Amino acid sequence: MNKVVNTVAVVDYGMGNLRSVAQAVIHAALDTGVNVVITSSPQQVLDADRVVLPGQGAMPDCMRELRESGLLASVLDAAAKKPLFGVCVGMQMLLDHSAEGNTPGLGLIPGEVLKFELAGQIQPDGSRYKVPQMGWNQVFQKNLGRHPVWGEVPDASWFYFVHSFYAHPSDARHSVGEADYGGRFAAAIARDNIFATQFHPEKSAMQGLALYRNFLHWNP
Amino acid sequence: MILIPAIDLKDGHCVRLKQGDMDQSTTFGEDPAAMALKWVEQGARRLHLVDLNGAFAGKPQNYAAIKSILKAVGDDIPVQLGGGIRDLDTIERYIDGGLRYVIIGTAAVKNPGFLKDACTAFGGHIIVGLDAKDGKVATDGWSKLTRHEVVDLARKFEDWGVESIIYTDIGRDGMLSGINVEATVRLAQALTIPVIASGGLSNMDDIDQLCAVELEGVEGVICGRAIYSGDLDFALAQRRADELNG
Repeated sequence: MNKVVNTVAVVDYGMGNLRSVAQAVIHAALDTGVNVVITSSPQQVLDADRVVLPGQGAMPDCMRELRESGLLASVLDAAAKKPLFGVCVGMQMLLDHSAEGNTPGLGLIPGEVLKFELAGQIQPDGSRYKVPQMGWNQVFQKNLGRHPVWGEVPDASWFYFVHSFYAHPSDARHSVGEADYGGRFAAAIARDNIFATQFHPEKSAMQGLALYRNFLHWNP
Repeated sequence: MILIPAIDLKDGHCVRLKQGDMDQSTTFGEDPAAMALKWVEQGARRLHLVDLNGAFAGKPQNYAAIKSILKAVGDDIPVQLGGGIRDLDTIERYIDGGLRYVIIGTAAVKNPGFLKDACTAFGGHIIVGLDAKDGKVATDGWSKLTRHEVVDLARKFEDWGVESIIYTDIGRDGMLSGINVEATVRLAQALTIPVIASGGLSNMDDIDQLCAVELEGVEGVICGRAIYSGDLDFALAQRRADELNG
């Protein structure tokens, strides 16, 4: 039987800021006919056309919960063949390894997750750098081969961040958006059918919703 | 999550009101700048100022005290201020004076056109303070309850480009009866901009509960009476919040 309705699954493995992500995805899906499910069922993730992988807290906890929830295989299946959107720690898990608790990641995008080492450094406005970075920051899109999920979102738009660790992809081409916080870091990474952000689109007002909307229309 | 010490200014002094009543105030300090520096030294990453006289008069009233705080704090941490901000000239004067965020409260509800203009003219600097009881918005220093639903108004404001929403549950402010975490999270989940919790923060349990929902979009919490009465050790509480969500 042909599936009539397009479905996006927001993966619930017990470690996401699920409601906010789901609210934003539902909002973005309005009038698109896309059905949004929040699910902890591996089968529903396997059946979905697109997958959103949120994540909050410490990466070791997130990795453990993803395994123990039994959802890991369905997420890897999604990563292999359908549009996948990772958010925050849901992005960090995509890399090979995190310095947080010396934790192996999923190895879907080559690279490391590193901690901000900014003690004693001063921001351009004269204030000290704080870790976690918490608040709005500008994201500069990579111009060369600009990623389609940016869509109509203007370059240097502001997005909302809460994090102490950041992605450092070993292949610069996998960094598709960067922000400055004591140096440039990858705020958005992508490879093939995977797109992921360190910032929280669900807390980034109109531009954040636009990203989710673009993701729902993205056909890599 | 950031803990934001509140410095409420009345007649040039630092005070706390009980349930927003100007006649029920306790003075905690005669020197606002010294108070500000004390919180900075204890690890505050943002300060929250309230011009109480301004809020009641509808125009700035504690300008000298505010200027002395901005001068003392300098560029070290951002400062936000509410109370009596009802026109663009006032906003411009404050931002030129070194203030990072202005908080628009009553005027945002009663004069939405002004808020829209402010967001256009001073994008990135506008926070809206919504005070509510049972989901309905209150105005004028809590003396009037409107029929507006908090969530509906806040959604409209986020569309206009407001930076964040400070949500105060007025049944609880100044009573040390615990913050209304459920109502705050509900609002944060309904919005795509962060929410700062306010009103009734009383102890470390509140910090734990708020940190648990931080990533639903609860960016920070305003600390009032509890850090002045000694019920909550500010420096300890900020360290705890950092440990919970480092």
